[in-house]
Amino acid sequence: MKHEGQPGNSEWVGAAMERFEGPLLRYAARITGDLERAQDVVQDTFLRLCCEDHTRLDGHLAEWLFTVCRRRALDVQRKERRMESIDDLELAEPASLELSPATLAEQRDSTSHVQRLLATLPVNQREVVCLKFQNGMSYQEISRITNLSLGNVGFLIHTALATIRQRLHAEEKLAANSHRRNL
Amino acid sequence: MKIEPDDPRLTAYALGELDEVDAADAALAVEESPECRQAVEEIRATANWLRIELKNEPCPKIPVVVQPENEPKAEADEKIIPFSNTKIATIASIAALAACVLFGFILPNWWNAQKKSPQLLAKNEAQPKPEIAVTPAPTPIPEVKTDTLTVTTQEPVPVQPTPLVPEVSAFSDGLGLSPATLEEKPKTVWDEAMMKRYGRMMRPAESFPLEGGAMARNALVDGGRVSQPSVLRKQDGRTAGSPSSVAELETAPALSSPATDGSSLPAYQAMKEKLEKSKRMRYALQMRPDGVGPSPIRQSSVTALYEKLEENTFLPARENPLSTFSIDVDTASYANVRRFLNQGTFPPEGAVRVEELLNYFSYDYPAAKEGEPFSVNTEVADCPWNPEHRLVRIGLKGRELAQAKRPPSNFVFLIDVSGSMQPTERLPLIKQALQMLVRKMTPSDHVAIVVYAGTSGLVLPSTSCAHKEKILAAIDALESGGSTNGGEGIQLAYATATENFIKGGVNRVILCTDGDFNVGITSQDALVRLIEDKAKSGVFLSALGVGTDNFKDATMQKLADKGNGNYHYLDTLAEAQKVLIEQMNGTLVAIAKDVKIQVEFNPARVSAYRLIGYEKRRLRAEDFNDDTKDAGEIGAGHTVTALYEIVPPGGSVKSPGVDPLKYQTTSKPEKIADSNSKELLTLKLRYKQPDGDTSKLLEYPVIDGGKRYSQASDDFKFAAAVASFGMLLRDSEHKGNSRYETVLELAEEGKGRDESGYRAEFLNLVQKAKQLRTGR
Repeated sequence: MKHEGQPGNSEWVGAAMERFEGPLLRYAARITGDLERAQDVVQDTFLRLCCEDHTRLDGHLAEWLFTVCRRRALDVQRKERRMESIDDLELAEPASLELSPATLAEQRDSTSHVQRLLATLPVNQREVVCLKFQNGMSYQEISRITNLSLGNVGFLIHTALATIRQRLHAEEKLAANSHRRNL
Repeated sequence: MKIEPDDPRLTAYALGELDEVDAADAALAVEESPECRQAVEEIRATANWLRIELKNEPCPKIPVVVQPENEPKAEADEKIIPFSNTKIATIASIAALAACVLFGFILPNWWNAQKKSPQLLAKNEAQPKPEIAVTPAPTPIPEVKTDTLTVTTQEPVPVQPTPLVPEVSAFSDGLGLSPATLEEKPKTVWDEAMMKRYGRMMRPAESFPLEGGAMARNALVDGGRVSQPSVLRKQDGRTAGSPSSVAELETAPALSSPATDGSSLPAYQAMKEKLEKSKRMRYALQMRPDGVGPSPIRQSSVTALYEKLEENTFLPARENPLSTFSIDVDTASYANVRRFLNQGTFPPEGAVRVEELLNYFSYDYPAAKEGEPFSVNTEVADCPWNPEHRLVRIGLKGRELAQAKRPPSNFVFLIDVSGSMQPTERLPLIKQALQMLVRKMTPSDHVAIVVYAGTSGLVLPSTSCAHKEKILAAIDALESGGSTNGGEGIQLAYATATENFIKGGVNRVILCTDGDFNVGITSQDALVRLIEDKAKSGVFLSALGVGTDNFKDATMQKLADKGNGNYHYLDTLAEAQKVLIEQMNGTLVAIAKDVKIQVEFNPARVSAYRLIGYEKRRLRAEDFNDDTKDAGEIGAGHTVTALYEIVPPGGSVKSPGVDPLKYQTTSKPEKIADSNSKELLTLKLRYKQPDGDTSKLLEYPVIDGGKRYSQASDDFKFAAAVASFGMLLRDSEHKGNSRYETVLELAEEGKGRDESGYRAEFLNLVQKAKQLRTGR
């Protein structure tokens, strides 16, 4: 049995943190909608990693981290939701990352193009897109992380890509038109 | 392999996600189709663009903070609710204020202790004394806030901080688990690297201000069950083998280690039970306004409505030989249950309708004979959750209709565009779903669009699908805003449908809403009457429900029921794909209406029976022959499944029971017409043609061939698994030996070919429920 305090483990956890802290934070923040809570989630994730025997995680460390992180983030987010439905009278919207058009407009200047496009996707599509293209996970890994079926993951990515493609096309056209007008 | 440009497999191929064999097939298909080639190129370009752009998204860093300060925390609390709405912001700041007040109550000790933590830590490193062994604890603020707030709403009296801490301890991982009693454990749970990084989270044992915390601490070390996998639990688990792989972690049961001090275990268990109860109660209150709620605030805050459901009980066949109900093809409950479980919570009992779970799946029943709208078949075998009982499965399958043979359709999309529809999984999802449907329609089909919000309007007059771009553009232009006047919109939609009525065609209003009717005809009864009245015009209704919190499940179900229709809940685009594309004909083309089932049981063979589910579809025995009584529709290719659990003669059944009668003897059997009949029951069906007014009767005697469970068909096993799952979710008193494990076994055995993958998804869902039950 490995003990967490072993020197080898410490190095290993340190390396994992170096490499994955940022990506996990980005990921958790998408779920919790709040960086501070994301920080707690990620810290918690690494704490759990300390208790793991690293030889057994070899090869699927990233998958393990994202899985644990996701579950923890969802837990945290759920707690927030529970609170809201108790103390709010008129909260019709779920406490997810849904952004109203007004908020989107406000953020337009500060957020990048890709973020704006992502924000128009349903939450589940956004998540798999980030896992796939930001974190380089395979369909298989995404399926295991999110507990969605492989087919479902494929469908979500397919649909998301189709939407993004369409939007990019539309924007190009728009840009071309306005360019012409400006001439 | 034939691949359309719009096939998920093509995307998988473009991204290199197919295995060798499939990839080779796909490559061939792509070779042949220029459209596919183009699509693959575009997909790859988009994917590359995404990769590059997303890589540029800055990675946040966790700041290395050592000194916690009070003020920033309070601010953070305000930020917790990410809404832009000012009203909400006000509520949030009140909440934050309340939280601050409470912090004042319980936190000073905590903060003081925290400030000491670096010194203690240093001391700890220098001389490893077990009593100041350090346990990691995540910043507890959000949790504390949640729970304190709950308590505030529950009891307006000054909060007693004592019960708070155990609750917090048990609900949040690692929090307050600082073990003075961890002598035998290795000192550092805490990894060096972690310490450097997250030093601010250090908490010595002394930081526990209240005795409740100590109780929790002891109890946890004693190996009580922890509500969530926590660091400590895992640490204990090392004695039993550390759950290392992801799968193991997911399913790891609560671990227990040899108790170092058994005396505090009962105390912990009691506390845990109390917590569980309060958690459950809070949840019930949240979802079920019909529950008894002590707090008026809480009651008014509830907007998602699930009607309470009284389960069918066992009825003695002698006194109640007839069981009558209407068929049901709704599937909404399953999608809704799936949403809850995927979010990691159990659905409220009222949201679980077993018949809708059963009918979410298609079963491989034989096709209907020529000239008949549906086939009827039955199967009897052992009841898996009660080996002494028998299970009867009744299955109907609507006649299949070739996609091309769909009669011309006249659809009116009635779309709720009120403010509540704004989130992505509402109006935007509906728009995508309807566009998907329109793309599948043919030039002989017509579509009109009616929207309703504060006012209603015809956005698009009935338009032939020869002009799809026009329809697609109209859908695209829909925007949400305003309040909801459902009544007026419904009237306009039906008027439009009647105006463009296609005789012999499919005439249907497709209502898309979160069901939150709040202006106009507000009373549900009035709305139902309106729909009932409109249904007589021969226009059918499909209700597509979206949204979560203020979703009116009951309203939607009733509308579809009364409006000659079906009701589906769309939680994802994939679900829309299933309901509107894969099962388009089933959803949209009714092939028989007012389908009623009446079963007459033979008391010589059946002591008692119970219809599983269909609580909302029960009819009176005399309604069966009454053609004015409305019942369910069956769509093309739809399968409908119903299960009866049967107690054989001599079997006992737990029923409330009545006193024996004084003036007549009920216990002695009256003359049974044919006591030698081998028949178990007679199944009678009535239905009308979609445009007919008089019903036709079908009769099928059913004999119990004594089939063992192992001989039952796959579909039988799978349906039994689904019913068993439904009973577990409802915590039904009739669930017998049902357990999630057995549901999994049953469903696995009965999975069959499962071409669409829905049964695999079911297995996944059961797995989740199981984890939720055992793991938390």
